[in-house]
Amino acid sequence: MAQVNEGGNSRQKKMQIHVDFTPMVDMNMLLITFFMLCTTMIKSQTLQISLPTNDKVDQTEQNKVKQSEAITIIVDSERDEAIDGKPGTVKKNYVYYYEGKAGGELGVEDADGNGFIDNNNLKEIEFLGNANGQTQGIRKILRKRNEKVVEKIDVLKAEWRDKKITDEEYQAEARKIRNDSTLKRPTVIIKATPNASYETLVNALDEMQINSISKYQIDNMNANDSALLLDYIKAHPRK
Amino acid sequence: MGRVKIKRKSTLIDMTAMSDVTVLLLTFFMLTSTFLQKEPVIVLTPSSVSEIKVPTSNLVTVLVDPESRVFVSVAGSQDSTWSSERVRAEVLKYAEKLYNDSHKNQVNFTDKQVRAFSKINMFGYPIASLGEFLDQPQAKQDELVDPSKNPNCGIPIDLNKDMTKPNEFQIWMNAIYNVAQDVVDSDGNSFESFIKRGEGIAIKADKETPYEVVHVVMDNLQTMKMNKFSLMTALKSEEE
Repeated sequence: MAQVNEGGNSRQKKMQIHVDFTPMVDMNMLLITFFMLCTTMIKSQTLQISLPTNDKVDQTEQNKVKQSEAITIIVDSERDEAIDGKPGTVKKNYVYYYEGKAGGELGVEDADGNGFIDNNNLKEIEFLGNANGQTQGIRKILRKRNEKVVEKIDVLKAEWRDKKITDEEYQAEARKIRNDSTLKRPTVIIKATPNASYETLVNALDEMQINSISKYQIDNMNANDSALLLDYIKAHPRK
Repeated sequence: MGRVKIKRKSTLIDMTAMSDVTVLLLTFFMLTSTFLQKEPVIVLTPSSVSEIKVPTSNLVTVLVDPESRVFVSVAGSQDSTWSSERVRAEVLKYAEKLYNDSHKNQVNFTDKQVRAFSKINMFGYPIASLGEFLDQPQAKQDELVDPSKNPNCGIPIDLNKDMTKPNEFQIWMNAIYNVAQDVVDSDGNSFESFIKRGEGIAIKADKETPYEVVHVVMDNLQTMKMNKFSLMTALKSEEE
């Protein structure tokens, strides 16, 4: 603002240029807090799956999976009692698998009448991932069944790591290997019980990706599967 | 002994440097942030090794709550011609038509209701009373789609296989699919192509949700021949 000089004193006062920034900092801090609380830093990932259509025609045309190639994974969860239609919290997740047909050659039969299925080929296993550089649990079994593909992919991956091939080349080549029908590949059928948590299903699908398995499907439990599972739980009660 | 003179020190601190830092941080947050979308239920997604990012545009998200309530959100294309608002408005108009074709009780949405609908990120309310719901103020709407306050919210869904009598979830998905055919961005990619490739539909469910609940949604999508879709997960690092 203009100041009127009175008298002969024309010496100008030194202007104070110091501005107090404290309110500015206060306001900025508030804004930062707001942005920090209202944002998502990590974007979600997606897992892509494709299921068969529900058309009846497709199901008859669907070729039967070769028994020697088939592995069925059954996921289940133990839950607390449901309250008012609200599903109980998950106590423990279980994974089972059997190779080939339910009950093997004998089928799901109790011929000797001892109350247990004679040839229950269902085995309990866990999602353990890797430990000490070794595959564990279900991954070990799946990897062994898909050995030929995994070996080739590993070679390819090493090349890709050494930057000998580009990203796109790696993806294209890996896809080719995964879908190579001359290699011995398993067909995995993933089944989930009604109680099974969504997490176990995603875990199972994840294993397919980790073990480069290209032939897998999500199916519904049939009577044989349920019988095997019930029988297994009867023989090996859950703690 | 002489008195010790205490020098008066100024308590003024120069805040300029501090201010510089905060402004920098603020800029960082403003540029990197994507805002959290409002969702009726908070779910914790399971983790997977998949590294495919969730797209921000051309996406239908189906949120499934553990008690099989379903909510749907639609994101349009990145271009302003087919913004999420416009897509949602078109979806509502198409859903209205589909609903009236298969139900005796007709519904009619006013322009004001359509506009209100286009502002809602995630919807989930029976169509018959949707008009009433849209007339409510925002705060009341939030209350109505909150499962803990109104257990009857969510899009009605069942294991219907008869497409001549679609359930409401099927009506919505059909409407979205039909609108998606017209939604083309400047690169010539249509929303429909994303749906067909399985990138355009994402199922979001909580870790602990029982499979039977997720299965209902998957089965409905299979019935509608949308048998390719993605599951939303969080990133899990896996050592080799």
